[in-house]
Amino acid sequence: MSLVATRPGAGQPRPYTFPAVQRVSVAGGEVVAAHMPGQYLATAALLLDAGGARETEGREGTATVLAKCLEEGTSARDSAAFALALEGLGAELSTSVDWDAFRVGVSVPAGLLPRAVALLAEAARTPRLDPADVARVRDDEVTALRMDWAQPGPRADAALRMDLFGTGERYGRPLHGDPASVAAVTAEDVVAFHESWFRRAGVLLVAGDLERLDLAELGALAFAGTSGPALTPAPPLAVSVGTSRRVLLVDRPGSVQSTLRLGHRAPERAHPQYVPLTLAATVLGGAFTSRLNHLIREVKGYTYGIRADFAMTRRFGRFGVSTSVQTAVTAPALVDTIGEITRTWQDGVTEEELAVARTWRAGQLTVDMQTPGAIASSLATLVVHGLPDDYYATLRQGLLDATVADVSSAAQAHLHPDGLTLVVEGDSALIRDELAAAGIGEIVSAEV
Amino acid sequence: MSAQPVPVAETGYPWPIETARLDNGLRIVVSEDNSAPVVCVNLWYDVGSRHEPAGQTGFAHLFEHLMFEGSQHVAKTEHMKLVQGSGGSLNATTNPDRTNYFQTLPVEHLELGLWLEADRMGGLVPALTQETLDNQREVVKNERRQRYDNVPYGDAWLRLLPLLYPPGHPYHHATIGSMEDLNAASLDTFKAFHQQYYAPNNAVLTVTGDASPAAVFALAEKYFGAIEAVPDIPPAPRVHLAGPAAEPVSETVTGNVPAPRIYLSHRTHPFGTAGYDAITVLATVLGSGRGSRLYQRLADGARIAQPDYIGAYGVDLAHAPAPLIVTATAKDGIDAATLTAGVAEVLDGMATEPVTEAELERAKALLTTSWWRQMSTVGGRADTLGRYATQFGDAASAAYRLPQWLAVTAQDVADAARTLNPESRVTLTYLPEEGTEA
Repeated sequence: MSLVATRPGAGQPRPYTFPAVQRVSVAGGEVVAAHMPGQYLATAALLLDAGGARETEGREGTATVLAKCLEEGTSARDSAAFALALEGLGAELSTSVDWDAFRVGVSVPAGLLPRAVALLAEAARTPRLDPADVARVRDDEVTALRMDWAQPGPRADAALRMDLFGTGERYGRPLHGDPASVAAVTAEDVVAFHESWFRRAGVLLVAGDLERLDLAELGALAFAGTSGPALTPAPPLAVSVGTSRRVLLVDRPGSVQSTLRLGHRAPERAHPQYVPLTLAATVLGGAFTSRLNHLIREVKGYTYGIRADFAMTRRFGRFGVSTSVQTAVTAPALVDTIGEITRTWQDGVTEEELAVARTWRAGQLTVDMQTPGAIASSLATLVVHGLPDDYYATLRQGLLDATVADVSSAAQAHLHPDGLTLVVEGDSALIRDELAAAGIGEIVSAEV
Repeated sequence: MSAQPVPVAETGYPWPIETARLDNGLRIVVSEDNSAPVVCVNLWYDVGSRHEPAGQTGFAHLFEHLMFEGSQHVAKTEHMKLVQGSGGSLNATTNPDRTNYFQTLPVEHLELGLWLEADRMGGLVPALTQETLDNQREVVKNERRQRYDNVPYGDAWLRLLPLLYPPGHPYHHATIGSMEDLNAASLDTFKAFHQQYYAPNNAVLTVTGDASPAAVFALAEKYFGAIEAVPDIPPAPRVHLAGPAAEPVSETVTGNVPAPRIYLSHRTHPFGTAGYDAITVLATVLGSGRGSRLYQRLADGARIAQPDYIGAYGVDLAHAPAPLIVTATAKDGIDAATLTAGVAEVLDGMATEPVTEAELERAKALLTTSWWRQMSTVGGRADTLGRYATQFGDAASAAYRLPQWLAVTAQDVADAARTLNPESRVTLTYLPEEGTEA
């Protein structure tokens, strides 16, 4: 006997079933829940229409500071008592801020969820926000942000964002602010943000074994004392893309690598071509076997990794490519990257490439959606983007059914190689002339 | 504070478990759960850095890297491409006790996972070349630089082990090993290492998720059945430790670190014993979360320690008394002596200041959540079952850990605390060089 020499093919895929979604309206808010029979752990998350987009100009980062202040005590108890009460349930508070929403969540054994949600609501609705605590939290955040902005990447990201959306637009400035905008955040700003956006009920997301959970009870706890109608989401922004390429040079003297960020604007998350767009980006730069990874990493050896994706929110999207390359190959790496984007736009994808992208994306969807936390995140996607309750049930099949024609026409419609903004963060004294010689676009120095 | 009731757990593992053994000695554990069309394929090899003789430190871990570089029927890097291409995720880790390999896959790729693992268990040696060894040796040396040598405080674990365990003890050296030993490693030594330890009778294959035990047993026979058992696998060296260390040990490192940091450590009991369960609960009371004694008293109260860098934890090693590590980093303007005195006072207080019911219940609640979080994925379940099958001979005994944590009493914690005597303590202190303090 010996080892089996032939690699086994895939067996019959079993149908993937997204947990059944239940919706309950209670106490002025809505509970959106997914049933996961047999799960011991349950997750609840309060979703508020209080994302980074709500922040005022010059104070970007206010929501992030508020998120970190929620554990600094409530009107009912100080931070120590709150920590003991929450950890006494085995819970910790997780908070997140994105463009569309502010999320506060807890995960505990299902029987403890009502008490954990009560504490979650206490922190979210009645935080103490003592000015001295807010100032301390803000200063810690500024310190952390300064460390982060000293690394390559954040300045390039900011330059791209500014170019795509404009400085006058909130979306043109960094999601979590920059060191200067966070340093400018005052305790009054934080209190005002809370007053403005944390009074409405919002949506409570619940994932767990619903036979052990009373959704109306959880909703009543989460929405107690709230008022005001839900906000109407603003419509998606028009997708404006330039007609010529621009190279934005962010100087980083002495840098041994150039950090590259290429991008242009794209449709919002709820766009009907989401599936073919995702697959097109996967073929181009999503998987290990993608076109960009193959050429730029495997064949040319310019980089350790390169990726392309569509990042999509409720009101806008952006196509982007990110990588870091050795300084000496900055221009050829850009030329090759533009070449692969152009080829994908012009010629579309092949069946062989698409087959890999389909199984990868559909498989990943299955593998990722095991825990209550992962399912709660999927529920947030449904709510934020106004997607139907059977969305995930059909998404997997949609990925598997997408044809070469679907994906190629989505690439043709939504890739714009001639309208790309190319941000290069590197040693401009060393690369400027070469970039000019490459003729890939007008060169502009960016101050970030 | 009122005590918070914690749900009573009769078992920490409510899923079915079936086991089998192939003729070549490979143990198989299957835990079926059809709630999602996903499986995890996990292998525990009962070999870790504790098996490494002097002069061969770092071999077990370097070997783990070689396992991804192709085998008889799998090309270089193909393992990763195939698993990721199917939407799966994979990884492997090495510690003093053991080496584990795991991949979570959509269930239709179960056979792929088993084929890949069988091929590198039974067919690695023919594919192992000098070039691969040289290449991965450099990768591991870079890993050592990146993770341990080039990071502030990164070598703390490397320094603590020789202070905690005497020369010749299997835990005396760290898993990453020394640069000198790695440089001296020859291809033949590695081939011999594989032939010695990567044997079916030295491994546990665990499959959790959407697959039936009968199907997995049949597939295991198909793919692993041809691999021959290895007789007389030598056990790791055994060095008896007669109780806690007899005298305190201190080491001070002055280097490029942003602030003074201290580590207080003791060797306690092996993972899996009642004594270690008490240490686990003690560590949680002492140093886990914002409600812990260390956080409350030193980060929040006295404000001498940085809130994000204070804690206490046990390192779950099963083959000798495992370490408890307590650590804190000074806030601006606080010196190491003040910080050490503060942390020592809180640690010593565990023996003199009884743990309250509220503290005990908080710790048990946190441990309960962390247990169920580990159990919430097929990957977490597979690794747990593989551990208990490998280290205690019975996968089903995993079910007892959570109830045993929950059975720990305040008296048990007090008894455990009394063994953490300053006379047997290891103290490691990092001080910023002149001019580097932030």
